[in-house]
Amino acid sequence: MSIQAKPLHSVGVPMKRKEDPRFIQGKGHYVDDLSFPGMLYLSLVRSTYPHAEIKNIDISEAMKVPGVKAVITGKDLEAAGLGWLPTFHGFDKQMVLAIGKVLFQYQEVAAVFAETRAAAIDGAEAVQVDYAPLPVVADPFTSKTDKVLLRPDREAKTNHIFHWEVGDKEGTARAMASSPKRIKQRLWFQRCHPAPLEPCGCVAYFDAMGRLQFHVTSQAPHVYRTALSLVTGIPEDKIHVMSPDLGGGFGNKVPVYPGYVCAIVGALKIGRPVKWIETRTENLTSTGFARDYHMDVEIGATADGQVTALHVATTADHGAFDAAADPSKYPAGIFGIVTGSYTFPVAHAEVDAYFTNKAPGGIAYRCSFRVTEASYAIERGMDILADELGMDAVELRKKNFIRKDQFPYPSALGFTYDSGDYHKTLDVALEKIGYTALLKEQAEKRARGELMGIGFSTFTEVVGAGPSKHFDILGIKMFDSAEIRIHPTGSGIVRAGTKSQGQGHETTWAQIVAEELGLDPQNIMVEEGDTDTAPYGLGTYASRSTPVAGAAITMAARRIREKARKIAAHLLEVGEGDVEWTDYKFQVKGVPSKTVTMKQVAFAAYTDMAQNEPGLEATYYYDPPNMTYPNGAYVAVVDVDRDTGETKVRRFLAVDDCGIVINPMIVEGQIHGGLTEGFAMAFIQEIQYDAEGNNLNTNFTDYLVPTTLETPHWETANTVTASPHHPMGAKGVGESPNVGSPAAFVNAVIDALSPLGVRHIDMPLTRDKVWRAIRDAEAKKA
Amino acid sequence: MNLQNSGEEKIPVGPDTVWTFVTDPEKVGRCFPEVVDVTVQDATHFEAVVKVGVGPVRGKFNMRVELLPAASKRHIDMKMSGGGFGSTVDLTAGADLVDAGDGTTLLKWSGQAEARGPIAAVGGRVLDSQAQKLIGQAFGNVRQQLTA
Repeated sequence: MSIQAKPLHSVGVPMKRKEDPRFIQGKGHYVDDLSFPGMLYLSLVRSTYPHAEIKNIDISEAMKVPGVKAVITGKDLEAAGLGWLPTFHGFDKQMVLAIGKVLFQYQEVAAVFAETRAAAIDGAEAVQVDYAPLPVVADPFTSKTDKVLLRPDREAKTNHIFHWEVGDKEGTARAMASSPKRIKQRLWFQRCHPAPLEPCGCVAYFDAMGRLQFHVTSQAPHVYRTALSLVTGIPEDKIHVMSPDLGGGFGNKVPVYPGYVCAIVGALKIGRPVKWIETRTENLTSTGFARDYHMDVEIGATADGQVTALHVATTADHGAFDAAADPSKYPAGIFGIVTGSYTFPVAHAEVDAYFTNKAPGGIAYRCSFRVTEASYAIERGMDILADELGMDAVELRKKNFIRKDQFPYPSALGFTYDSGDYHKTLDVALEKIGYTALLKEQAEKRARGELMGIGFSTFTEVVGAGPSKHFDILGIKMFDSAEIRIHPTGSGIVRAGTKSQGQGHETTWAQIVAEELGLDPQNIMVEEGDTDTAPYGLGTYASRSTPVAGAAITMAARRIREKARKIAAHLLEVGEGDVEWTDYKFQVKGVPSKTVTMKQVAFAAYTDMAQNEPGLEATYYYDPPNMTYPNGAYVAVVDVDRDTGETKVRRFLAVDDCGIVINPMIVEGQIHGGLTEGFAMAFIQEIQYDAEGNNLNTNFTDYLVPTTLETPHWETANTVTASPHHPMGAKGVGESPNVGSPAAFVNAVIDALSPLGVRHIDMPLTRDKVWRAIRDAEAKKA
Repeated sequence: MNLQNSGEEKIPVGPDTVWTFVTDPEKVGRCFPEVVDVTVQDATHFEAVVKVGVGPVRGKFNMRVELLPAASKRHIDMKMSGGGFGSTVDLTAGADLVDAGDGTTLLKWSGQAEARGPIAAVGGRVLDSQAQKLIGQAFGNVRQQLTA
């Protein structure tokens, strides 16, 4: 046997991504790369009005445009029973094409099918829609008054969608009232948009067997298949959903959009393939946005800084339809994580959601169901409390952290935190950033009137949805799955119910299988996104892939190992009980010289299996016993120009604890990406609507994505506390940097401005906002 | 986004001449800045195709226009709505014709417009100044045609 040059272990190795050669050569395979004979193009007519009655839709001119084959409207769909689409949250529905009225600007009004993309756009332009404008409700506080009822189609004649609450209301009020120190602050996490570089799109056609072949930008292909079957009545076996390479998702590609339904209806009606690809503007103005939470945060504490109570009351803007794709039992997602990393003895959180004349959505953007909003609320709140107490923000955090000996920790709002060592993670951050020296520098600068800030965020996330007892989407429990086949020559394929959008599953999943079976990860192929071949899974979002599907893959591999053990026993000519798996091979107990490798066993499984079942494959559906709780300590150091309001992030350090790390390079890449998005939300990104309901950020000149020029240099480090219930001890990491970083940026800027008496500025902290805050504060002082 | 404007223009002809002009759909239509085509429906209705360019938003707008002359022959309102490439503009304007007594007319006008879609989003920062420019051009055209 040749000497093994490579290390046998795969987990923890910064293996280069297997998918990257095709991506960096421009050989990725995206939906828009597909072309089929006779394929038509779909373009959608969209409303220019945020709220208006539709008097008439005249398609006659559109039908005269050369190349236009058909135009369908909401009335056509309604007649076919397809006028409305259930939202993934399950308690609302949304119009596929506007019926009777439009509820937000850029809402889908008519669908035009044509021979070319240009003809479809020309046709859409020629559709004449007569609108009678209605009063516009552009914010949830106006919506609350119910002066204008936005959704008369609903049974409840109110704009109020739901009230949700968790925790001890009376107990919290009592504890708050008797707390010597209290802070209260309204924090608005602004509406933003994940803006994946590839917008949404699909190609739909019915094949010769009458089967729907549906290629689509989906983070959750199986859920799409089930949802499409439920909506259209097409039997689920007659629907084949394929999600090819995705150019980013960030939750934007979880919901089913009207364009998809129109493409399918067009393909059925005309009998030809139909392609629909969004424009950038369509993506930014009509698909799943993020946040838009107005949070009133109240914290009680003792005079020496021991937290006593937390109350958060949120007013949420859900837009025209309740399409926030939250699990059924969690209309406000997992917002209950708002107690963060701290030992609040009692807490109460409530959310009231309202309809407005704005695009629907709410939970996208690299966020595990409202965890980003919750983390921002508590991490800003703790800084405001520190300011009120005149206490160092680090000292306050350390005083209130859940200690490592308190895990598993039952939080006041009902979660059982699995593991963590918050003090250690923060200490690593303080050491690496050189906190003592920074404080000295800051004191010197303040004496000179210069504005320098140091901001912390010591967040705890909750990811890996989720245990079937609590979590489902449209009734489907949020398990995930894996199927592994090992070929005779010791290579193999793993299929999972997840769908990578850039996370690197082709590498990470191969590393898990390789680690568990002692095989070469280069020869483990990973396939996802095809509902005909992949086992049923709920998809990739909310940092759930490694916590749920990663666990399923581990367990499936272990099933293979148990099967292989029987064959190994036969090869080693001993009883099964005498075989042990050690150092990535099977060995006769106590006889290190008598071994067989998995590669040898794999060959035997097809050639010399004796009385054992031939072949070597296994499937596992994993229902997680608990969520996982990644956490981190982030530090931002900023300088603010007193005259211009210009903010410079001089340093940013992220120390993450995401449990056992499978591929450190991929994890670091995820953290870089998430920090860049967190930076964008903190400083530049907002989907703004004016009072008349106009969306003011409809493209990349008005909605900015940071380039390498603006993006700070990221410093990273990590600590490891394994998840006690995940079979590999992993926790998930994709969203941590996006969840944790916004508060660190804002805390740093506010810390810089605190000598002027500035206590809070809502994101994004643009130059003009910061400049105005400085100017107002100086005017107040003078 | 909402735009509001008002002003006064001195027209070097008498109010009766101005009245005949502003109640003629063809003539009014031809005064629109960057007008490409005018189709008259009847005495008070016409359609105009105009070229629009605000920042990166460029294309043609199809506008439907209704003239609402008052019986006094000294006041006229105009309603205009339309758009193109996913944008719309709704505009209402009114003008009083005041006899200056010296053979000229003082046109006292006011208008408000609601712009929606990309033109409001992209053009938001420059739309106000752009509107001023277009109004100036329109009245320039009126003066030019009346004195030609």
